[in-house]
Amino acid sequence: MTDTTQTERTEARASVLSSALAALPRPALLLAVLIVLLCALVIAFGPVRALQATVNGFVAGSYTGLGAIGLTLVLGVLKLVNFAHGDLLVTGAYFTILFAWLGLPLPLAMLTAMLATAALALATEKIIWQPLRLAKAGSLQLFLSAIGLGLVLRFTVQFFAGSQVRTLGANVVTSIAIGPLRLGTLQALALVVGISAMVIVGLVLRFTSIGKEMRAFADNRALAEVSGIDTQHIINVTWIASGFLAALSGILYATAIGSFNPNFGITLLLSLFAATVLGGIGNPYGALVGGLVIGLSQEWSTLLFNARWKPAVGFALLILMLMFMPQGIFGRAKRRS
Amino acid sequence: MSCKIGRLAAWAAVSALAIVASAQGAGAEPLDLKIGALLESTGPLSELGPPAEKAINLSATVANKAAKDAGVEAKVTIVSADSQGDPQAALSATRTLVDKGASCIMGPSTTPESISVLNGITMQRKITLWPLASSTRLRTVKDDGTIYRPVPADDLQSKALVKAIENHVGKGKAVAIIFRNEPYGDALSKSFTTDWQAEGGTISSTISFDPQQESFDSEAGQAVDTNPDAYVVIDYPETYAKLGAALVRTGKFDAKKVFVADALSFAKVPDNIPPEALEGAYGVAGGSPTGTDAFKAFNKLWDEAGGVANASYTANSFDAAILCFLSAVEAGSTEPGAIRDKIRSVTKDGAPQFTIETLADAVKTAATGKEIDYVGVSGAFRFKDNGDPSSSLYDVFQYQGGKQVKIEQVNVK
Repeated sequence: MTDTTQTERTEARASVLSSALAALPRPALLLAVLIVLLCALVIAFGPVRALQATVNGFVAGSYTGLGAIGLTLVLGVLKLVNFAHGDLLVTGAYFTILFAWLGLPLPLAMLTAMLATAALALATEKIIWQPLRLAKAGSLQLFLSAIGLGLVLRFTVQFFAGSQVRTLGANVVTSIAIGPLRLGTLQALALVVGISAMVIVGLVLRFTSIGKEMRAFADNRALAEVSGIDTQHIINVTWIASGFLAALSGILYATAIGSFNPNFGITLLLSLFAATVLGGIGNPYGALVGGLVIGLSQEWSTLLFNARWKPAVGFALLILMLMFMPQGIFGRAKRRS
Repeated sequence: MSCKIGRLAAWAAVSALAIVASAQGAGAEPLDLKIGALLESTGPLSELGPPAEKAINLSATVANKAAKDAGVEAKVTIVSADSQGDPQAALSATRTLVDKGASCIMGPSTTPESISVLNGITMQRKITLWPLASSTRLRTVKDDGTIYRPVPADDLQSKALVKAIENHVGKGKAVAIIFRNEPYGDALSKSFTTDWQAEGGTISSTISFDPQQESFDSEAGQAVDTNPDAYVVIDYPETYAKLGAALVRTGKFDAKKVFVADALSFAKVPDNIPPEALEGAYGVAGGSPTGTDAFKAFNKLWDEAGGVANASYTANSFDAAILCFLSAVEAGSTEPGAIRDKIRSVTKDGAPQFTIETLADAVKTAATGKEIDYVGVSGAFRFKDNGDPSSSLYDVFQYQGGKQVKIEQVNVK
């Protein structure tokens, strides 16, 4: 509860709006802004075009939002800017190809790929991150090591699988018609899985003992340690969860998009970080909502500008939003010492 | 001491022999020509790599046989590297080729790669570059006469698209243009807009997209919303796999209205592109005069060699390598600058004409330093001052059952 009051305090300071509006929590404020924008677009461009752009925004947002959930966990709990996260997505997709090639049926290959990527993420902890922490490496060293790890992963994939375009062979052209609106079947699946993953991770963090320990660890590591929390266990679990989620989103992305090469992770990484930061670091709801907000602003912008400008418009809005809410949508104001 | 003297004597004898040999050879030392092939083996245009590689390798076989038949001591070897569709990678691949002694460079397939290679290494070393990139943007940079395009530039392709749409949809119709936001798409879409409007047609919408994006549903929706009579799609296979799927998902898309530009020309639709996105679609790509003996001979060679199926621009790649070879023979040198200066001497209008069937005679004539006119599989080469072809024949094709079927040819100037 103290969080809410602090949030309110920050709001009251930051906002120049009326005090009643400023007292609203940020997610509610954002929702209100989005609804107003949507109404304006409906009036300006008609319901079909505006709503179709909204559906497309949700789809684009779910691709980044889902990938960002795993990233936000590592960033929030371990305070590690994991530049290799995009390549974990790639690893997941290519593990699927590998296991399918070895003869597993596709769904089983996907599940095995997620487990394998989780194991890989844990292995990076044991081989790279734990020794680096013990050697008291600073955040810059960790950051550079993450970039290096990303390159190693990407080129290992390229070495074995080549850099040509691959496909998982799913049917990407079927779509669901909702009145005049269209939504690709696999895109709908990506959206549903994204929301489910967000809810599950959110619930685990809130209600299970491991989730509580993770939050405690994220807040104050030293305090968590003296309270008897097995910190290495928390770190291991975070990596496993992050690897699993990365593979899940990588596979879903590869399936829904239809074709990919080993570079899709690095291309996606900037959007993943944007979603993480906009949503509020460490918060799984924030990661997905951050992704959706970026997706919506990009797709809505295509109604107003030529589509080639949509990344520019999307990221300009991101900067604007961070000016008003530097902690992100679901982020908490820093505790004062 | 005696040992040293012996060695000196041996050296002297060898040098003397060498001098005598070179004098007897009428000043012609054997030509050992290395042609660099910059191939799109991986990356967004990886469909183009294997056919181009086969075409260039065939040219070496044909050239070596012709040299032997002509009794001219010349040997062609192909060195190849992967340009990955990426300007940086293309430049480092070219450095490898030049280190291996390449005197001409075949490829790459995109304008950004070509410019990077040109500015990074080939212009300075006077190495002729034979890009398959067709954007008119390539001619906005200084090249010091080193770029010869074996393929027509996009101002001609634009006219071919206009003719194809007029023939299959009709004059004065509404066309939606969808293009990737890159020099190729940008310049070709502008040329097409001008040419189509000049013929009385209208443009219902012009949609450009950022190829780095992961979803193109909004772009696809905008294209179908105007319900055009035809779509012009200027894209690469990798992104069209996503864009095409998005177009089909709109539920209002008819692939039979699509006219693709040459980067989407392949013998067989790749697996990652949904079949519905291209079935029945038309397209244009630079063609070769089909009735000629040279064309038949080339196709026979292609089939006999086995391997990948024939594709667009293979004849152009083949001819480019032959032109490099003939220029080297004409110059009597493998020095890149000397080759560059002889290209117009082997494509001289009015000089005796030769084709791949009479290549041995062409080599014989060129070795004497006389001008010749090599009429390629892809037709005669009439380079403009800037090194671009002044006219070209285009194939108009349609995808039927996932395969490319040639329907007609149009000649544009």
